[in-house]
Amino acid sequence: MSHMKYPISWRLLDALEAAAAVLWPARMRRLTAWALLAPALFLVGVLVIGLGYMVEYSLHELDLSTYRLKEAYSLTNYQTILDRPVYARVLGRTLLGAVLVTAISVALAFPYAYAIVRTPSAMVRKALLVALFLPFFIGQVVRAYGWLIVLGREGLVNSALAGMGLPTVDLLFTYPAVIFGLVQYMLPFAILLLVPALAAIPEDMELASESLGARWTSTFRHVVIPMAKPGLIGASVVVFTLTLTDFAMPEILGGGTSDFIASAIYDSFFQISNPGLGAALSMVLVTLGSLIVAGVFLVAGTGTLGVRGAK
Amino acid sequence: MVEIAGVSRVFGTVAAVSNATLHVDRGDFLTVVGPSGCGKTTLLRMIAGFDRPDAGEIRIGGVRMDRVPAWQRSIGMVFQKLALFPHMTAAENVAYPLKMRRFDPARIPGLVDDYLALVRLAEFKDRRPHELSGGQQQRVAIARALVFGPDLLLLDEPLSALDRKLREDMQLEFRRIQQELGVTTINVTHDQREALVMSDRIVVMEGGVIQQADDPVSLYRRPENPFVARFIGVTSMFPGRVTAETPEAVTVTAGEATLKARGGAALGAGAAVECAIRAEQIAIGPRDGAPRFENAVDGIVRQRIFEGERMVYAVEVPGLGGAVLNVFDHDPVSHSVYDEAQPVRLEWAARDLIAFPAGPAPAVTTEHKPTGSLTT
Repeated sequence: MSHMKYPISWRLLDALEAAAAVLWPARMRRLTAWALLAPALFLVGVLVIGLGYMVEYSLHELDLSTYRLKEAYSLTNYQTILDRPVYARVLGRTLLGAVLVTAISVALAFPYAYAIVRTPSAMVRKALLVALFLPFFIGQVVRAYGWLIVLGREGLVNSALAGMGLPTVDLLFTYPAVIFGLVQYMLPFAILLLVPALAAIPEDMELASESLGARWTSTFRHVVIPMAKPGLIGASVVVFTLTLTDFAMPEILGGGTSDFIASAIYDSFFQISNPGLGAALSMVLVTLGSLIVAGVFLVAGTGTLGVRGAK
Repeated sequence: MVEIAGVSRVFGTVAAVSNATLHVDRGDFLTVVGPSGCGKTTLLRMIAGFDRPDAGEIRIGGVRMDRVPAWQRSIGMVFQKLALFPHMTAAENVAYPLKMRRFDPARIPGLVDDYLALVRLAEFKDRRPHELSGGQQQRVAIARALVFGPDLLLLDEPLSALDRKLREDMQLEFRRIQQELGVTTINVTHDQREALVMSDRIVVMEGGVIQQADDPVSLYRRPENPFVARFIGVTSMFPGRVTAETPEAVTVTAGEATLKARGGAALGAGAAVECAIRAEQIAIGPRDGAPRFENAVDGIVRQRIFEGERMVYAVEVPGLGGAVLNVFDHDPVSHSVYDEAQPVRLEWAARDLIAFPAGPAPAVTTEHKPTGSLTT
């Protein structure tokens, strides 16, 4: 038994390979890729079916006598959205919010991600990473309630102001409070997406720029930011779409004053029991979000996500 | 042109560079060569301005530079991995230092064209780096480093990633451009052959210390210590003891052999020595041949490698305490070839055997030995 001399891990792997050859013969190999894709395809399939139902719902008007959707197809729900200025206002507020949150989050995330990648101190890098991952352990709702405590009328900020003899301010239930809450929620996502993009820029690039006569501000503008473009696009798309569809922050920190479109959808389904209208609003949101993301990719090129390597 | 005076750099408890002193004349091509971790890259980074010396001074053109930020120094650098900006074309890469250094915008296109022509890339100006071959990328990098007329050009092993043929072509190309422009150049490499081919002067570094600075021929002919003798060229070493010494020659006993070595080192009778002999200076022949040189020892062939233009032998010499000597026999196809286990006689001239005072010397790691060398 000469093969007994080989390490136990080799023999185990040999046994596993033999078992695999029986269970999944070589002629099945070309199906392996599809088999691995199957769970993802199944999930996406379910989503597409759900989306199909939403389209169907959105094309039926609510019958106010029975509180059921009418049989007949109509565009009444979409007409309602166009007719009522409140929906345009909510949509505008959502879009503006998404743009603001994206811009602020990415701008704040960039120096943080850069510090993680370039700090010479392992301690500093560890501290920055721990601080980055800690918020992920705390859900969005818990964090929003945390801000209620800090920013509330009798919260930490106002107590401090009162202690200094200053008048208290209403910080909560305003649009800026919602934006603030969303930024602090989105910041870790933006950083997480920027770190690999910045880590992919060799430090030599910055040193080369410096030795060619560029001070660090010029190096940043002409070398670091253009080379970080894939990360910047990726982070922006993720933060933008997450904000566009966010529900908890506007609901809790806005307190009804600064509803986003997701709140309007929720209200349609569960407050006024009009699933047709809710579905129509959802379709508007999905279409709008998809168009904007498609537009970004069209302008920036999908290659910027690093899918096809350097572009 | 460049004065480095007593420069040291310490990382934690490790002295990466210790008390380095050297100067480079205007227009000279100087190569700093040594194994990895010898401190050559740290020295280069300090000259470039990416790192500051803990002690000592660096002067360029008579001006003290070691506290001046890199972007204010007039130094062009070609990086090991080139560091071409991937989002810019070849022409934009070359124009970059001109823009950063506030050249007159009207002059920039002309200068870019001139330097792309100098490196023979005029027709590739609109290509991005990834659309260029390895050699073409090298040329863009050197054009970019030279276009603004720097006082000093630094090369950080830019040729190490190329295959052998291209590397040899680029060595000559770099040398041509350097001589055409007369730009003072400091090159860093671990490749002794590149150092010999390209340089006016070579500095050998090991353990953060400059071992020897000399022109290539002197360095090869007269290494000052065993490290340099082993690092440059293929050299066999064996221990011995001085029995007699005159200014012209040293007599050494090694094992059972009595050998004549080059004089001039003032070793003193009875001193322990390390003897060094280069592979190409040993003549290999049959044991019954007529004597050709002052020194002769008998050995047995242990290994034979045919490299085309030469045969490389490893010969065990029982009379030298079992030392194994590397021997190059040039033009092997026109005369005798010796088989493994065959007895042979090795001979060499007294002027080719160097006796160094024995002492702790840094070891040469095998990865830096040239191709064809055999372990001793």
